[in-house]
Amino acid sequence: MKRTLPSTVTLLLAMASALAVAGDAGSGYRYVEGGDFRSSVRFEEATRVVRLASFSLMEKPVSNRDFSVFLARQPQWRRDRIPAVFASPGYLGHWTSADMPGDNVDHDAPVVHVNWYAADAYCRAQGARLPRFVEWEYAAAADATRRDARSDAAWRMRQVNDGTPHAIDAAPGSPANAYGIRGLHGAQWEWSEDVASLLGDGDRRGQQDGEALRYCGATAMSFNDPGDYGVVKRFVLLSALQPAATLGNLGFRCARSTP
Amino acid sequence: MKIPSLFLSALMALAAPLHAQSLPGDSVYHLHAATQDADGQPFPWSSLRGQARLVSMFYTNCHLMCPLIIENAKSVQNQLAPAERKQLGVVMISLDPARDTPAAMRDVAKRHRVPEGWQFLTPADNDVRAIASVLDVRYRFRQDGSINHTSVLVLLDSDGRIRARSEVTGAAADPAFLIQVKALLAGP
Repeated sequence: MKRTLPSTVTLLLAMASALAVAGDAGSGYRYVEGGDFRSSVRFEEATRVVRLASFSLMEKPVSNRDFSVFLARQPQWRRDRIPAVFASPGYLGHWTSADMPGDNVDHDAPVVHVNWYAADAYCRAQGARLPRFVEWEYAAAADATRRDARSDAAWRMRQVNDGTPHAIDAAPGSPANAYGIRGLHGAQWEWSEDVASLLGDGDRRGQQDGEALRYCGATAMSFNDPGDYGVVKRFVLLSALQPAATLGNLGFRCARSTP
Repeated sequence: MKIPSLFLSALMALAAPLHAQSLPGDSVYHLHAATQDADGQPFPWSSLRGQARLVSMFYTNCHLMCPLIIENAKSVQNQLAPAERKQLGVVMISLDPARDTPAAMRDVAKRHRVPEGWQFLTPADNDVRAIASVLDVRYRFRQDGSINHTSVLVLLDSDGRIRARSEVTGAAADPAFLIQVKALLAGP
């Protein structure tokens, strides 16, 4: 009896992981093939082209419904239980109750008013992580047909509406991009894993000279392409946020590294 | 035998939620993060609770600011009375877990002749961000492997509340920060 137990356990585990994989496809991660990429963000020492490993990214941002399922499993992230160190007063403030979005909120809409810690915890619970900024930028360079549509000035011009209801992907039926991913230029911004690395001009603006020493080897960043509106807007916004902050147009989605 | 163990587990069941509840909401120890100490032993982040701490984040392969951070923390410690010194733990946390193995941390401690009792912790790879976030340390890896980072000493009370911070710009302790450290240690 004792001998058979491990094999049963193994079998169960194998079944569970098979289910997890199936569930994974259901929750919609899309594969993004890596490559050399000319990021529009440039730090002073960086070369213009960065090499990105392949990764996968959720097809859609995490919804109110998804997030309430997560809260049922990890109630410590409910707005009435989250420790103050992780939260600001607006956290999930648009929901009717601490555990449910309620009737005034579209359950399928991206969850907003979430902070970085809760987003990070959600992705960890999925065996995933938040995407890095450059991964978002890479995936968001694609339009419906091209993996890098950034040379299309008209398409790019429309990205000045990113984060607003007029954004390219704001309408519910907007097409997926060339990777099968939706909403990267949507009405909501999204957290990135390395938000605290985005040491932009915002961190130095108006500071006295002594502030240059605040960062080891004081940084300077610029944009390779200041006309990349979606990227510039997103960078400036995220670099100004504390991880506990929340916004009515800031949500998240998760990513996975490719083994 | 059975009764005491039942009694014990009942006690523990009572004690655990009480313990969690008594942690103030703004404590950085709400974070569940794993680290390793300089002996290579697992050291949960929250087990720093129970003593006032002077905490900083650095990396061993850093030759400009990081020695200054260590010297500055030493300078704070040196200006405390012996009784005060016993109350304040000094904790250096790595931003670079891939390279800052326990051996590398022991080596840096030796090289900089840090006093007995300092703790050098290497967080798990995916826990560096969160620890840096609760301490409000910003950092970014540069392409050459060096790291841009906030150079700061953070003063935590025994429950993990941030009580003061000192931006490190030199080897000498900031007098205003020192007053805050002494005030905390003298506190109720």
